[in-house]
Amino acid sequence: MIRKKTDLLVIGAGLSGIMAAAAAARAGKKVMLVAGGEGVLGLTSGCIDLWGYRIDRKDEFCPGPREEIARLVKVSPGHPYAVAQDALEESIDFFLAICGEKGCSYRDNGGGNWILPTSLGTVRPTYLAPDGMAVNLTGFGRIVVVGFTELKDFFPGMLVANLTRNTDLTPGCELVSCMVSAGGKEMGPNTLAHRLEQPGVIQRVAAGIKKFVYPDTLILLPPVMGEDLHRDIMNTLSGELGCLAREVTGMPPALPGQRLHKALLGYIKDRGVEIVAGCTVKSAMVSNQHCRWVTASGAGSTMQILAGAFVLATGSFLGGGLQALPGKLRESIFDLPVETYGPEWSSADFLSTGGQPFSRFGIKVNNLLQPVDKKGYPLLENLLVAGSILAGCNYPVEKCGGGVALSTGYKAGRLAGGMTCE
Amino acid sequence: MNKPAHYALDNCIKCSICTTRCPVARVSERFAGPKQNGPDLERFRLQGLAAAHPSIDYCSNCKNCDLACPSGVEISAMNCRAKGESVSAQGASPRDRLLALPELAGKAGCAARRLFNLAARLKPLRGLGEKLIGINAEMTLPAFAPKTFNKLYYASRPAPLDRKAVYFPGCHVNYHKPLVGMSLVRVLERNGIQVIPGNFQCCGLPLISAGMLSQAQKLARNNLDKVQKYLDRGYPVITSCPSCSLALRKEYRDLFEMDADGGIGSRVYDIFEYLGEMDHKGDLDTNFQRLPVRAGYHQPCHLKAAGCGSPSLEILRIIPGFQVTDLDAGCCGLAGSYGFKKEKYRISMEIGREVFCAVDAAGVSQIITECGMCGLQISHGTGAEVLHPVQVLDLAYGNGHRVPK
Repeated sequence: MIRKKTDLLVIGAGLSGIMAAAAAARAGKKVMLVAGGEGVLGLTSGCIDLWGYRIDRKDEFCPGPREEIARLVKVSPGHPYAVAQDALEESIDFFLAICGEKGCSYRDNGGGNWILPTSLGTVRPTYLAPDGMAVNLTGFGRIVVVGFTELKDFFPGMLVANLTRNTDLTPGCELVSCMVSAGGKEMGPNTLAHRLEQPGVIQRVAAGIKKFVYPDTLILLPPVMGEDLHRDIMNTLSGELGCLAREVTGMPPALPGQRLHKALLGYIKDRGVEIVAGCTVKSAMVSNQHCRWVTASGAGSTMQILAGAFVLATGSFLGGGLQALPGKLRESIFDLPVETYGPEWSSADFLSTGGQPFSRFGIKVNNLLQPVDKKGYPLLENLLVAGSILAGCNYPVEKCGGGVALSTGYKAGRLAGGMTCE
Repeated sequence: MNKPAHYALDNCIKCSICTTRCPVARVSERFAGPKQNGPDLERFRLQGLAAAHPSIDYCSNCKNCDLACPSGVEISAMNCRAKGESVSAQGASPRDRLLALPELAGKAGCAARRLFNLAARLKPLRGLGEKLIGINAEMTLPAFAPKTFNKLYYASRPAPLDRKAVYFPGCHVNYHKPLVGMSLVRVLERNGIQVIPGNFQCCGLPLISAGMLSQAQKLARNNLDKVQKYLDRGYPVITSCPSCSLALRKEYRDLFEMDADGGIGSRVYDIFEYLGEMDHKGDLDTNFQRLPVRAGYHQPCHLKAAGCGSPSLEILRIIPGFQVTDLDAGCCGLAGSYGFKKEKYRISMEIGREVFCAVDAAGVSQIITECGMCGLQISHGTGAEVLHPVQVLDLAYGNGHRVPK
């Protein structure tokens, strides 16, 4: 058995866990982060949503997410934003600073949502977009959607056909699609992204697009435009073509989410956070309403980790923080009570705009992010809960996952920064 | 496997994150990624149908897929079974058989050391070797040592001590890098523990990676029985090679359903895990000499796969003057014998490029890593000198005549 001691142990390597680790490490704490899997950030589009649709009219994009959240916490005091709204602004600033430092810059749209095209030709609202995705579709006389002959699952013709139906473009805007080749046989997004970084390849691709470009053209591409050299590749492409080029949001697993994950991990590593991958926390030793240590095991060995404070950022059902068995729900490590808000787990209408009830399942917390019992008393004083394991939000329909992860993760890291290991 | 295989499979939600983390699929379209031959085809294998896509030959068994999975699916084990299916249907080439038997190669190589080491450096001969048997002519072959670890150990006549531990040196230490083993002996001796070389066979991981599962299973049985005997006598078993360690603690269990409760595997220790435990109890001699060296550290994939981080870093960082930077650049690409194969050498070097660049960026000429084959690849790609962390500790205890650059 390996024994470790740290000020703060963060469990989970998703957005909220990394934000918690980053905030505490910046405050000078000794931080360790353990994760059973990679964290699902690499599966996301890479965009950060705060709030997508209007509370009163769910089929309309919300013009001002911050104002909508201020209204929301009044009508839904059980929503995670209600306990983390005070940290939202700071967490966004901190996130933007981290991303800027690691060369993976993000942009807001002057306080409103971006309305970004997807690879299916629909549009989706989001608050922060990577530089290489941020675009307002109106304002272009011509949009060229580019596909790669090697890439599976991306059809520029479909995107073109759907996009005109789904959003308002500049009147008279011409939409065309074209196919180019990066050279090679059928490949997945990661292989293609790596191929595009090889010398001369992006220039060849640009030459294939050139004849479709007129003044005032926007180029839309699948989210495969490079790994670490993404920025250089996009700049080269824009430079060669003399027009703006942007990636659309794509199906998981998408490169923009992976680039973000790598940038954030890079930031916490730079600040001395020890990261142990492939290590699942199985149980906790608790006394006097404090967690003293947790036991974690990897493929070959077991670790006992003592810490002054713990952040539970293990995610919901997908991340493994919550487990569902027939008729039974369980929080995986501390066996915390799981709030369900009623007997129904699912709705027969799969894509209901009201969302699925199970998405709201999770752990209830107080203002200090400590898990609480039915009466609202804290169950563990040095355990802080962050991210999608929190009860009360329905991120697939609310489009609030990013903002909840940022604000609760950041707040947990700040609060934990005030606690030390005895 | 302590749960029925189909549960493990049902946990796969087809998210493909494993494929995004696959070093081979990243640089080459010849491997469709771990999901295809893993969870996608496993459903057929569970129904007794032989199912493997030919691209499985390009899996390097690095195990990054296991680390990526958010749902705990044993992806690499499924890929190993797929390769097993493929090899039992088509047979393994003579080259793959040769590369999968480091013990045999080691015995022959050490017996005719001068001849083999010379041949490894003769370009025309290597060119012929590439044409005839398919071993890439450019890749540096590991040199055979003048004396095996076992010979060196017995010649050193170690002093008897009350506390004893059994060492699983592995083929690389025994036939190619016996000085790593001797450093381990001295380091433990300094801490009051007498090392006994265990009479083990090859851990079988090269056979597993080559898809020759039934031969690997025989070695596994034999090794586990021996480990059990030593444990019964109260001796812990210590490894210095991350791949041997992973085989003993994970592969035997996942692939052959041996040691299902982990009773044996949990008492096999990586040397730094063991020293860390001693340090925790206050038993570790931390009276180190100053070692004013800047070094880069490379974490081998098979150590990462053990899920305990890098236990060596914590101890190396208490050596006065020793500055170590984690290169954090992922897989080196060699993956045991993968990079020696003529059709895979370019892939292997392309994967390794990240590590080579990180060595350059760190501006160090001294690299530390636990895995002998990672070490070989890094010195092949960068020319840097590579040591096992236990050799650094040995130097910090004042042993050895030489302080590395």
